[in-house]
Amino acid sequence: MREQPAPPGRAYSGPMLTALPRPREHPRLLDGALAVLLFSLSFGQWPSSPPGSVAAAVGICGLLAGTVLARRRYPVAALAAALAIAAVQIVFGMAPGGGGPPARALEPTVADAVIPVLLYTVAAHRPRRISVAALVACLLGSAAAIARWAPAQPPASSNLLFIAAAGLAGTALTAWVLGDSMAYRYRREYYASLEERAARAEAERDAQVRIAAAAQRARELQDRRARAIDESAARLRRIERDLHDGAQVRLAALAMTLGEIKEDLDPAPGRAVDGERTRRLVSAAHQNAKETLAELRDLARGIHPPVLDRGLGPALSSLAETSAVPAELRLACAEPPSPAIADMAYFCAAELLANVAKHSGAAHATISVSDQDERLLMTVTDDGAGGARLAPGGGLAGLLERVQTVDGQLDVSSPPGGPTVVTIELPRHA
Amino acid sequence: MPPGLRIVIAEDAAIMRDGLTQTLTRRGHDVVAAVADAGSLREAVDAHRPDVAIIDVRMPPTHTDEGLRAAQSIHRDHPGIGVLVFSQYIETQSAAELFAGAPGGVGYLLKDRVADVSDFVEAITRVAAGGTVLDPEVVRQLLSASRRADALTTLTPRERDVLALVAQGRSNTAIAAAFTISPRVVEKHVASIFGKLGLPPSQNDNRRVLAAIKYLEP
Repeated sequence: MREQPAPPGRAYSGPMLTALPRPREHPRLLDGALAVLLFSLSFGQWPSSPPGSVAAAVGICGLLAGTVLARRRYPVAALAAALAIAAVQIVFGMAPGGGGPPARALEPTVADAVIPVLLYTVAAHRPRRISVAALVACLLGSAAAIARWAPAQPPASSNLLFIAAAGLAGTALTAWVLGDSMAYRYRREYYASLEERAARAEAERDAQVRIAAAAQRARELQDRRARAIDESAARLRRIERDLHDGAQVRLAALAMTLGEIKEDLDPAPGRAVDGERTRRLVSAAHQNAKETLAELRDLARGIHPPVLDRGLGPALSSLAETSAVPAELRLACAEPPSPAIADMAYFCAAELLANVAKHSGAAHATISVSDQDERLLMTVTDDGAGGARLAPGGGLAGLLERVQTVDGQLDVSSPPGGPTVVTIELPRHA
Repeated sequence: MPPGLRIVIAEDAAIMRDGLTQTLTRRGHDVVAAVADAGSLREAVDAHRPDVAIIDVRMPPTHTDEGLRAAQSIHRDHPGIGVLVFSQYIETQSAAELFAGAPGGVGYLLKDRVADVSDFVEAITRVAAGGTVLDPEVVRQLLSASRRADALTTLTPRERDVLALVAQGRSNTAIAAAFTISPRVVEKHVASIFGKLGLPPSQNDNRRVLAAIKYLEP
């Protein structure tokens, strides 16, 4: 496993520690120091002559110490190399009764202590089956070394033999156990980091989903806002048209009739007032004025039904009372909606009751209004023939578009044979 | 009473159409056709060749300015037929379009003017006779919004009033009657106004209306 840089925030960064190089953050330095230490400690064990033996001893100790440098990248290869050198030492450097100068150069030295270090590294950074094999190799090596060394010892020194064997095997086992427990810790950290990464990814995904949903919602609201603006512009145009074609033209006609009357009452010299004609004109003007009033009243009511000034409840109640199909009102909302929402709810109820009268053939209708969380829920139910649909361009679709301008919803349930239930959900405030 | 005019009325509001028909008929005119849209207006004009057509600006199908377009096309095809366009709103722009290139026989009035029945009927008579009639409200707007405000300040108040009536298409006689002054004095005023504004003097009422409108046009 590769060294991961220490995550920020975990390392203590006091003044003392920042001044000194930290071993964990300088693995090469540490390994280099270890190699130099092992090499220099083995110095006293080299033969003093001949030069060939010295060179061989220097080379072997150097190679052994050098494996430390490779331990982080190639721990198994480094251990294998060290074990191979040790095997050569066991075979040639531990001949019973000592050997010649060449064998002296091959005697085990302090540099062999590199083996438990490498075993520790393998156990810490390689899968357990490999580290167990390495441990077995080391134990076998220890056994071989003891077996090779024992015959040279005096028979009485079995105690020493046991200590040597226990020391070698114990060192190997200790190195392996230490390394293995490090591996366990690394694995746990690794899994923890995996889990953390997965959690982060999940959180990121959640955030992205939320952002997408928010963007979608923003687009929807933008559409609805545009539609609301269009709708209000269209509504103003309708009102203007109604005024232009209705009250304005009636008043112009009325003014013309009054102009005629005025001129009639002031006849040219020598002509008499035509009383009959004047009466007729006055009657026409009177009629016209009354019709203009009625038309203006209707128009004003269309813009804002005055009954809504008393609140949604009384307005719906009066709507139910004057409905062509007998209608019942069930009102169960504690907090009154804002005026724009009350307008919308009233308008929808009026449209839906008109629909009931026109299309359903129902004998009875019900309007119920209730609170649902922060929203207003209104249902208009009838016992008519059913079959109402949210067809594009239809009246219900028009209503849906209208309620959407204030972020409302409209649903229709109208199986053939009825009953028809239109559910409208509106925010409490526009 | 002068002989009656042959009149076509195009107005989509029945109440106004019927009222006008009755009023004009009673005053001895002959309403040969009363229609409700621009298409029928064109047919009626082509069929009856009236002396004058009274045309509402907003009519079906689009309720925008088909009356104005119809008036222009009638005037182009039948220069002898007077067109009086009337509307509930008046726009200087529409007036300018209508009067551009029209030597006479054109009128543009606010619908409210029907309240003064005799004046309205007189305006119809003037348009039928080839005269020019421009609503006082349009003239007021022209005068107040004119980019020649500087030149206009050189006029005396009386000259301004006279200019307004000139722009409305009134004759010297009518202007004299309006201010109870003699036609000679009106002539002097008009000459002075045209001199100050640098307009070519003209004895023709129509030409001087057009000159005045063109001058005042924003």
